[in-house]
Amino acid sequence: MKPFNPERRAFLKKSALSAGSALVLGIAWSGEIVAATDTEPSFKPNAWLKIDTDGVVTLYIAESEMGQGPFTSLSMLIAEELEVDWQKVRVEHAPLDPAYGFQGTGGSRSVRRNWKTLREAGAVAKQMLLTAGAESLKAPIDRCQAHQSRITHISSSKSVSYGELVGRAAEMPIPKNVKLKHHKNYKLIGTPVTRLDLADKLNGKARYGIDIKLPGMVYATIAQSPVFGGTTKHFNGAEIKRRAGIIDCFDIGEGVVVVAKSTWQAFQARKALKIEWHEGKTAQLNSDNIIQRLSGETSEKPSLILERGDAMARLNSARNPIASEYRLPFQAHMTPEPMNCTVGVEDGQYSIWAPTQSPTSAKASAVKALKLLVPQATEAELEARIEIVTPLLGGGFGRRIKQDYVTQAVKIAHRLKRSVQLVWPREEDVQHDHYHPLTQHRLRGSLDEAGNPQAWHHRITGLQSSKYGADTLPYDIPHVRVEMLRLDSPVPIGPWRSVSNHYNAYAIEHFFDELALAGGQSPLELRLKLLTEPRLKAVLHKAAEAASWHQQDQRRLLGCAVHSSFGSHVAEIVELIRLDDQNLKLGKITCVIDCGTAINPDTIKAQLEGSVIYALSAALKPPISLKNGRVEQHNFHDSPILSFKETPPIEVIITNSQLDPGGVGEPGVPPLAPALANALLSAHGKPVIDLPMELNGTS
Amino acid sequence: MAVTLHINGSATLVEANSDIPLLWVLRDQLGLTGTKYSCGIGVCGSCMVLLDGVPEKACRIKTAECVGKSITTIEGLAEQTDHPLLKTWLELQVPQCGYCQSGQIITAYALLSEKRDPTADEIDQAMSQVLCRCGTYPRIRQAILQASESMSAKEQSS
Repeated sequence: MKPFNPERRAFLKKSALSAGSALVLGIAWSGEIVAATDTEPSFKPNAWLKIDTDGVVTLYIAESEMGQGPFTSLSMLIAEELEVDWQKVRVEHAPLDPAYGFQGTGGSRSVRRNWKTLREAGAVAKQMLLTAGAESLKAPIDRCQAHQSRITHISSSKSVSYGELVGRAAEMPIPKNVKLKHHKNYKLIGTPVTRLDLADKLNGKARYGIDIKLPGMVYATIAQSPVFGGTTKHFNGAEIKRRAGIIDCFDIGEGVVVVAKSTWQAFQARKALKIEWHEGKTAQLNSDNIIQRLSGETSEKPSLILERGDAMARLNSARNPIASEYRLPFQAHMTPEPMNCTVGVEDGQYSIWAPTQSPTSAKASAVKALKLLVPQATEAELEARIEIVTPLLGGGFGRRIKQDYVTQAVKIAHRLKRSVQLVWPREEDVQHDHYHPLTQHRLRGSLDEAGNPQAWHHRITGLQSSKYGADTLPYDIPHVRVEMLRLDSPVPIGPWRSVSNHYNAYAIEHFFDELALAGGQSPLELRLKLLTEPRLKAVLHKAAEAASWHQQDQRRLLGCAVHSSFGSHVAEIVELIRLDDQNLKLGKITCVIDCGTAINPDTIKAQLEGSVIYALSAALKPPISLKNGRVEQHNFHDSPILSFKETPPIEVIITNSQLDPGGVGEPGVPPLAPALANALLSAHGKPVIDLPMELNGTS
Repeated sequence: MAVTLHINGSATLVEANSDIPLLWVLRDQLGLTGTKYSCGIGVCGSCMVLLDGVPEKACRIKTAECVGKSITTIEGLAEQTDHPLLKTWLELQVPQCGYCQSGQIITAYALLSEKRDPTADEIDQAMSQVLCRCGTYPRIRQAILQASESMSAKEQSS
């Protein structure tokens, strides 16, 4: 691998990348800027892959690598059909190009939406190589086979390598219909292949957005209004500009920007800023008054999400209806790499290194920002002047679906007319996130004479809340009504790992246990009886077995929960160990997933371990709160995440199936909090109505 | 003010004006970007480096205070490619996004250098200095235990 060389800026000269043209640029995960020149012979049958004469196969992955593993799992799909020597595979983020459709990574979709496309891309290339190889070996094609980057004539054992076939293969017609392998013939899919992005993540060479350094680049940071929507009234810009190393200080609307010769000087100058803000109406806002608004009576009509039977009539006539109300708070993403964006400026061209989950949206945001600054330019002109390059992402979890940092960096670069890197200090990152929303859930239920749930009513009231995760109740309950009142939010809201499934699954799964216990039933047995999705029932059954569900006593308490999301089905069981009258501690967490075909089992296991820990942070650690329109937290000390020593043992089980693959990045999150709440319900006999949960001193 | 630092075995001249922390000299001046900025207040541990063999958070150490000490960053440590810790780290596929991993590896390396066979409690104490949002903790624990075993086995056989 060649070293990172920012001087090699062929990308600027190749900026008119158009649909259908050969792939000319990308950035390797090691930071190498790749600009294949058209003079080097190579075989590029489609946008996804290129084979060079030395046999190196480069795969272009159009999903953002933020730790969830698409570089490897998607490469496996291509390589499976291409019959390539895995040692010769290298991977890069694809450039932004219409050939890939909308480039945005989220919704645990990477494998699902590429499942067929990428195997076909590999199969098409293999077919062309086979045709070329047969011709070269002067053998009938049906007597040749592709294996380990070679085409071999079976009877004579004569063979030719993919590298040698590059020129000839490129001449072959692109086959229209290719047959994909039967799952019994998979060699890579289903095996724990070593991740292609690992080596450089162990030696400091992996390049994230924040590591990009362009020639002559200056360093910018920003102070945004602590009150959402506030604007600048006055700031001590002249004084700031007199500080050592400060190049400029100005207002860009979203806040005050400081530009310096180094990140440290910019950060220090930001701390020395004295800004008076027009705070606006949001300055009155506190968490308490949002909660009051959510829990108060309202004349607003909720929208109906799910209805069967007549739940309201049943509940109104029920002798002992059960009612509960839960609240899920604001949560921040806390990506390890804070928001940042680097913009290279040369001859009116902008090359934007955006650690983003969506290069497509990043470009749209950049065009929109420039359009306001250069109104005379047409959108097409601006589009031609903007290049988006995706480096590695230091975590995403939904935060980098939003492009606020890209918009700001473009505005700053346009004003400075020079290359600049914008880095938010962690404090900006915590206070200007797009948060998991605050939601309130009112639940009512009734039981029939045998103690089975008969009626179910769930009303979601939330800030920009969503119905997903509550729009199908997985249980056979005859009378159901689910409705939602979605309120506008004065606080920025965005997707947070598993999105609405997190709060909706909490409400459903915790209340299910309340109903089961009220009817004198085992929450596990009642679930197994009422679950309508056989795959969900099967994972729960397996989890119960693995967690030894029936071995519970006063010292060992278990809680279970299930949830289907993003095409996968997950059951989780949380074990609590009673230390004494007052204190409980987390025991083992069992997690079983049915995600259909498991592409890379080791990555899936890692994603579920990570999901459990992510969800535990939300369940156990202080959430985000508001006071006087400001987020009260600042950094990891007051917006903490789970630490090493707080992490319990986690067992992940993947059930095997040949069904199409489901998502794996998010489905492990939703069942965790309700499973933990259910274990606490079993310990204390009281539901957990609010987060964070407390394991100590609550007997 | 120009000062000479000893980084990864070489003497390097850097500018160390005012109270600039080592982190920013490494990243902005020397291009040693394996040491990461994440919190800037010494809480997350992503910027961990070795100072005379002891793990320290580079965002909290003033550069001027590093003069005369031996500094090891992930780039320097990674040169020991046959170190059991790096091998097991790769074998167990510990990293996800990878951003905190330099800090994790530096801290684990220091722990094993000090104590070949750390107790569960000692591992807890050492590794709780570095936060990981992706949740690689279970694999980090396993990698340390496995590396410790293979280091002990090597000692016995030699």
